[in-house]
Amino acid sequence: NPGDYFQLPCVEWALASRTCDKLCSAEDCIPGTGVYLRHGYIYSSLAGYVLRKNEGEELPVISVVRETETQLLPDVGAIVTCKVTSINPRFAKVHILYVGSTPLKDRFRGTIRKEDVRATEKDKVETYKSFRPGDIVLAKVISLGDVQSNYLLTTAENELGVVVAHSEAGAQMVPISWCEMQCPLTHSKEFRKVARVQPEYLQA
Amino acid sequence: MFSTVRERVGEVLLPGDEFSFEAEEKISLTAPVKSEKVVCGPGLRRCGDRLVVFKSGVLRHKEPNVFWIDSQQRRYVPAKGESIIGIVIAKSGDVFKVDFGGSEQASLSYLAFEGATKRNRPNVQVGDLVFAQFLIANKDMEPELVCIDSSGRANGMGVFGAGGLLFRVSLGLVRRLLAPHSDIRSDLEQLFPCELVVGMNGRIWVKSATVQQTLIIANLLQSAETMTAQQRQQLFRKVQQGAF
Repeated sequence: NPGDYFQLPCVEWALASRTCDKLCSAEDCIPGTGVYLRHGYIYSSLAGYVLRKNEGEELPVISVVRETETQLLPDVGAIVTCKVTSINPRFAKVHILYVGSTPLKDRFRGTIRKEDVRATEKDKVETYKSFRPGDIVLAKVISLGDVQSNYLLTTAENELGVVVAHSEAGAQMVPISWCEMQCPLTHSKEFRKVARVQPEYLQA
Repeated sequence: MFSTVRERVGEVLLPGDEFSFEAEEKISLTAPVKSEKVVCGPGLRRCGDRLVVFKSGVLRHKEPNVFWIDSQQRRYVPAKGESIIGIVIAKSGDVFKVDFGGSEQASLSYLAFEGATKRNRPNVQVGDLVFAQFLIANKDMEPELVCIDSSGRANGMGVFGAGGLLFRVSLGLVRRLLAPHSDIRSDLEQLFPCELVVGMNGRIWVKSATVQQTLIIANLLQSAETMTAQQRQQLFRKVQQGAF
């Protein structure tokens, strides 16, 4: 409804729209993302801001986005950086913080199942000896999951696994092998599934 | 540093007491220098190059180089491998929820009993006492109990408790009772014949021939916490003479 739109001072051509708002007729614009075509009219399918762009074709492209900047979503096969929130004998729950090297604004939830922690000896894996709550883990997305479930992640490669972990005494631990890390204060060793970070990514 | 720690064995230490390496210890030029290794038990922790006490209690020593703090507490913290007495609180699906006096409830799978299969379920009701040991016990996950050992045999674990008395004591008394060649146990053996189940979570179950004897043993064990060995033996002797 034209009366419900409000103008934003910075982006003058972005108007707010609600889901199922009729934006315009199909003869005026080409539908882009966040809109759908029905009975010759273009409707919005998201609640957000309306963008009209002239892309060089005859008609402008109309799309609706939730925010003015596009959000990078983790895709299948992407390497993500996540933080372990809770562990369970069957899986570990994580919050995805970075996709590649770009930080995310919202935290997406992910799950690392017990059989996806390692590539070898999958049935002998103990989650308590691979991750602990608070660890920063490099993982790869294997599935986007459906509506209720989270992203499914895996660490079954040499370069994936725990990168930063804190010991029970509170100090940051130093990796000593692919399955152990040592605390510099108490010199006690703890088990983790450690990632073998490529030398070019390590900062001196 | 080894010698400074040894000197204080048997003393009461408080959290914050430290043992540090000092350069004043003389090293002999003729005798071979041996590297000393100190194994820290519960209550002691290494912090950099110092040994720090973090629980109050008495410092104990065991040859050749194990040191630990004997502390008293009533709140039980679960540890893997310890056998405890638990009370079944709920049955949810394939798992029993068991209360052992800790901060959360432990789960006990119905397959973790001797001879249990998917068809042959164990006969465990809500409110039963179980003697089980911890399979998983750490601060990040829900504790898990089992009533079989690693070879699949019950080994004394499982449901028990018809007609006895369950009571709580401190963890220190339980450790004294379970120590090999325990004085309290040998004194108790001379009193009445009784059945005793001791859980490391501070719970003891007693069953004797009559209700009166059961109550006497329960009271004796609860009062034995704060008595010296002499007082305890005196009390036991009095009871033995006063009883039939």
